[in-house]
Amino acid sequence: MVLSGWAAVFFWVFAVAALVAALLTILARNAVHSALFLISTLVSVAALFILLGAEFIAGVQILVYVGGVMVLFLFVIMLVNVSAEERGHELLFNRPAQVAASAIILALLSLGLIYAIRQGYDGLLKRDQDRITPAVVAAQPPTQPNATRVMRISQDTQRVGGSLYRYGSIPFEVASVLLLVAIVGSVMLARTTKQELAADDVDLELLPELIATEPELAQEIEKLAETQTKL
Amino acid sequence: MSQLITPVLALLLQAEQPTTRGGVIWQGIQHPDLSKFLVIAALLFIIGVAGVLTRRNIIVIFMSIELILNAANLNFIAFSRYLQDAGYPNAVAGQVFTVFIIVVAAAEAAIGLGIVIALYRNRETIFVDKIDLLKW
Repeated sequence: MVLSGWAAVFFWVFAVAALVAALLTILARNAVHSALFLISTLVSVAALFILLGAEFIAGVQILVYVGGVMVLFLFVIMLVNVSAEERGHELLFNRPAQVAASAIILALLSLGLIYAIRQGYDGLLKRDQDRITPAVVAAQPPTQPNATRVMRISQDTQRVGGSLYRYGSIPFEVASVLLLVAIVGSVMLARTTKQELAADDVDLELLPELIATEPELAQEIEKLAETQTKL
Repeated sequence: MSQLITPVLALLLQAEQPTTRGGVIWQGIQHPDLSKFLVIAALLFIIGVAGVLTRRNIIVIFMSIELILNAANLNFIAFSRYLQDAGYPNAVAGQVFTVFIIVVAAAEAAIGLGIVIALYRNRETIFVDKIDLLKW
């Protein structure tokens, strides 16, 4: 796999964009700015996916991450109060000793990773030397229809879908259960005490304590009791 | 435009094998291969770990986790493409894995942000060093 020509130019553009936006994500003072920089990182990584010939995954990344997860992030940022951090009343990072310790860990991690990639990639090339021929690399132009008038993109998506359902059908079903659990779990977690009372889901032993912290709950309980006696 | 540039690029590409160290590096820049993608993914991963370890805002920590997951996705896709070019045209297991990682990341973000909302309601803060109920 060797990119050349315009693909190489775009590779460097999007790689540098992804790295710079990722750095700004963890350095930005305002959490909304962090989220926007994270969106540009995700879009740049999606562009790298397209360069690697995984157009379907790039589309999924944009739709799910940028369209779904990041909107969720932005909603939560607007629900919680982050203005103290924005105005500089709160520290952005942990204490200096913790930051120094993590910098040492990260330096070691990056050295180890770069060394491992260099060593491992040389070994990989040696193993696959006879398989990778320039002819394979310079295969048909990517977006030209071939003899059967099928684009390479749709072929690739077809292959991904095929193996998703053929070899990954059980994980696929498990993933749907996981998403259901995530929906139910986040609804349960984000309920207020009032909503828990309405669903009759509060521990009776804890009720006096809750009323002590939130006095308006007592009225709420009376209202609920009235409606229940009417029924 | 591309008709003009393609012969120039072809001329550049068919230059003789570089001998100097700078020439080797220039050739690597002109022809990014699998190792370049792996290095970019490793740097993204390291930036994500840096965010998790150093930031105090729990929402930014979640965003850094998304960065880490994306670095893993980039590795999967790069290796998938490498295998496709190395003579296994049906090697799409990496792409299938990436779909599952995106699904798990979405579920994790939903649950995690639900926890953040519940936490903010109870403790009025989103700074991880102030959430020390289980400190000792």
